[in-house]
Amino acid sequence: MIPALQRVARSVLVLLVVMTLTFAIFYLAPIDPALQMCGKPCSPEDLEAARGFMGFDQPWFVQLGTFLVAIFTGRTFGSAEVAVQCAAPCLGYSFQLHQSVTELIVDRFPVTFSIALGAVALQALFGIAAGALAARRQGGILDRTVTGVSVVAASAPAFVVGLLAVVVFALQLDLLPSGGYEPFTESPLQWARHLVLPWITLAFLNGAVYARLVRSSMIEQLGLDYARTARAAGLPERRIDRYALRNLALPLTTLIALDIGALLGGSVITERIFGLPGLGALLLDATSTADLPVIVGTTLVGSLLIVLANLCADLARPLLDRRLAATGRRTSALSDPTDPTDPDSLADPVDPTEASSPVDPTEASSPVDPTHRTTPSDPKAPTPQETSS
Amino acid sequence: MTSSPRPGSSFSRSRFTRRNMLLATPVVLGTGALAACSSGGSEGSGSSGSDGGVATGGGATGGTLTIYTTGEEMSFDPATSQSLAITSLGLTARRLTAWKTSPDAPTELIPDLATDTGTPSEDGKTWTFTLQEGLKFEDGTPITAAAVKYGLERSFAPELTGGLSYHKVLLEGGEDYAGPFSGEHLDSIEAVDDLTLVLHLNRPYGDFGWVASNPAFAPVPEDSGQPETYATQPVTSGPYRVESYSPGAQAVLVRNEHWDAGTDQARAGGPDTIEFALAQDASVVAQSIIADRSDAQDSFLASFVPTAQLVQARNDPKVGDRLVTSGPGALEYLVLNTESEALKDVNIRKALQYAVDKEAYRTAKGGEISGDFATTLITPGIAGREEYNLYAEAPSGDAEEAKRLLAEAGAQDLSLRLVIRDDQTAAAESIQQALTRVGISVTIQPLDANAYQSEVTAGDGSAYDMVLSSWQPDMPSPNANLTPLFESTQIGNGNYNLARYANEEVDAALLEASSTLDADEAGAKWAAVDKRIMEDSPVVPLIYSKNSFIHGSGVENFVIGQFPAYPNYLTTTLKA
Repeated sequence: MIPALQRVARSVLVLLVVMTLTFAIFYLAPIDPALQMCGKPCSPEDLEAARGFMGFDQPWFVQLGTFLVAIFTGRTFGSAEVAVQCAAPCLGYSFQLHQSVTELIVDRFPVTFSIALGAVALQALFGIAAGALAARRQGGILDRTVTGVSVVAASAPAFVVGLLAVVVFALQLDLLPSGGYEPFTESPLQWARHLVLPWITLAFLNGAVYARLVRSSMIEQLGLDYARTARAAGLPERRIDRYALRNLALPLTTLIALDIGALLGGSVITERIFGLPGLGALLLDATSTADLPVIVGTTLVGSLLIVLANLCADLARPLLDRRLAATGRRTSALSDPTDPTDPDSLADPVDPTEASSPVDPTEASSPVDPTHRTTPSDPKAPTPQETSS
Repeated sequence: MTSSPRPGSSFSRSRFTRRNMLLATPVVLGTGALAACSSGGSEGSGSSGSDGGVATGGGATGGTLTIYTTGEEMSFDPATSQSLAITSLGLTARRLTAWKTSPDAPTELIPDLATDTGTPSEDGKTWTFTLQEGLKFEDGTPITAAAVKYGLERSFAPELTGGLSYHKVLLEGGEDYAGPFSGEHLDSIEAVDDLTLVLHLNRPYGDFGWVASNPAFAPVPEDSGQPETYATQPVTSGPYRVESYSPGAQAVLVRNEHWDAGTDQARAGGPDTIEFALAQDASVVAQSIIADRSDAQDSFLASFVPTAQLVQARNDPKVGDRLVTSGPGALEYLVLNTESEALKDVNIRKALQYAVDKEAYRTAKGGEISGDFATTLITPGIAGREEYNLYAEAPSGDAEEAKRLLAEAGAQDLSLRLVIRDDQTAAAESIQQALTRVGISVTIQPLDANAYQSEVTAGDGSAYDMVLSSWQPDMPSPNANLTPLFESTQIGNGNYNLARYANEEVDAALLEASSTLDADEAGAKWAAVDKRIMEDSPVVPLIYSKNSFIHGSGVENFVIGQFPAYPNYLTTTLKA
């Protein structure tokens, strides 16, 4: 329980740091949001009045303090007849969009959530399947295809893939709409129809990581002693595959959790291409229009989602691996490592550090580590055994 | 573009301002878009539509027109809008006057709510507008002079600034007025009776009729609710009312049953419904309009056609006249910072007029279709404009003359900083190369949009010697070309006198020309100021840029007038 609490406390700290940095960066950057509020032509008095009204005439740390307090108490901009109320939890007010940032985020969240849900499901499903098949047929045509496609997918720019998907599936084949969003509550079918292309696009772009991770880890697992022992004991290959995959549950869960977090934080380019009014599109526009309250609010919510996803993954690890539950570290004394009927015993029969090396969940769960997509997965993982069945 | 909105974003103060401040953004994007299509025939200027006039537009009524825009938000509040008279806000908000656009003639000022375009007193300081009888808001209540007064007063409230404020420095007592919300009123706006509005100015102003077409001159009922929510829940006076609006997604306008076409010379009120699809990707939309699929047929893209799709559209016979390129519009120019040490000497600035290669610049922007060469400051399509050329005859410049002037001025080893936005590299390099041939070295410094704004429009001028910029005036009056760019009060604070040009004589001449009531007389004075400014060489005019737009096969009367280089949303209709 204590480690869990520590973990939660650390997450809160991370959020505070993100907040402070966001404020500091935008305060130091040459941006004056009040310029957007001033008319044309703009008089120095108008500019000053706009700054005061928006609260940007204060030092950044005062603005940060006001912002944090407003999350719990709400806030009023301006005064008297023209005052703008921002009810708690107030994440600021966008004077450009005439809406509180909290409302904006609440409006946009279902869109982003819908995108993330489908995309992660697809990319995990296809990525894992492709990786497992490739590992089984290592060196074969299927393997080379999967490896090749995953290199292309991992390095292709999102806007090219998205645009291509629109041109082919929407404009040429006329199968699907080219964009837009229909709420699930209005028509689940239309909701799905409008989201299929973004889902496929994102799944294609991100699924490669799963394929490569699963492939290299599977190859390694299949070469380990327990697999050899199992094979020698006459267990069918399919059964051995299942054990190997189960051993990957931990890193895969971490990866999936992180992907959900990242996608909820906003898949900026995909949302723009498919005209989806999600959090990513909101942030993108706010950046180009210097809408500071929106930038700060969405950054906070984005990082909150990523931190939460990490937290969930970390807290779920002991559930997935019982040996972690007691001490938070693995020990291999709880079960007989050679008993092929005990799946847990197969998790790490030999050397704990070696088994977890291809995908270190603690490394992948770094909250703001963009490199988690390139989780080290050595393509030349030890493959002493011929594994074809 | 500095001053004009990106076509799609015609609504909102914020986006507008910003885009505008980004100076050439739209123009540059638009013309940049042309970069890849130097071959192929010219679209020619003008429009695919048949006619600009509403009465003769001949379009059918009915249907749903979709307008795709990259803009994220719309503001329906006239007080905070910089929308041109012919774009989005014009669909919901009528003003005292309006514009009649045509590809064949300069844009004309026509009456809108008023029965005429305003009657000045003898001294030009008092303007009287008489409203048409029987005009109604969307809720059926009558539109009165008091409602126009209230609308104007709102624009003075510090909480609702952000719109076009040309009137704020003109109305008597405006400098000390802070809006109507605390019960104070501005006496210089006088609602004499229900239909008569008298406006008292602090000086004679010939173009006040044009100013009265600005958004702030739209009527707002006094009991219109919270000022902040008016931007999304306006009480409309135009052919449409706002049915729903969700920023980043869409805005749906439906018919205002209380609008009477017989009282409106500026609007066709064609489609039953107009949907703005917001925050769209221009490339995707352009693709689907090129493909002309059923759902894209009754639509147009309010932003410029992106480069790749422009090439595609030009080569696709199915597109044909659905791709519409404007005539010469916004002025693209090289700003010479008159306060910078290196450019203080007028002879050095004059040398740059000869050194710059406009031909190379235009090639970098995409060739002939991207615009016509510019030598004057007042842009085409504006009545009273006079064509002249004080400097090099050839668009490619005159390097020898430039060298001679530089030698005469004693300039040696001149090294200049050229600040641009990060999408202007090719154009900036053409300037750099041209200056290199006369021995001037140029350092190009690209800035992102926000940094550009703060360093260039809001900075103290120490960050640059030269800037690439563009300007399309807010109104088709020479005043709107010259005053914002060259009056000494327009330096810094987010304003656009980027050359930081301060000349008392020119300030006085600008004041005098703007005070002249007689249009011909004023025109002559404006042309003279234009020339006078060019003698001091604070900027090098490069080209008057052209914009390309695309629409679906179901759209009719998609007209780009001579001014501005944007389609007129108010007269666009759908095929029956």
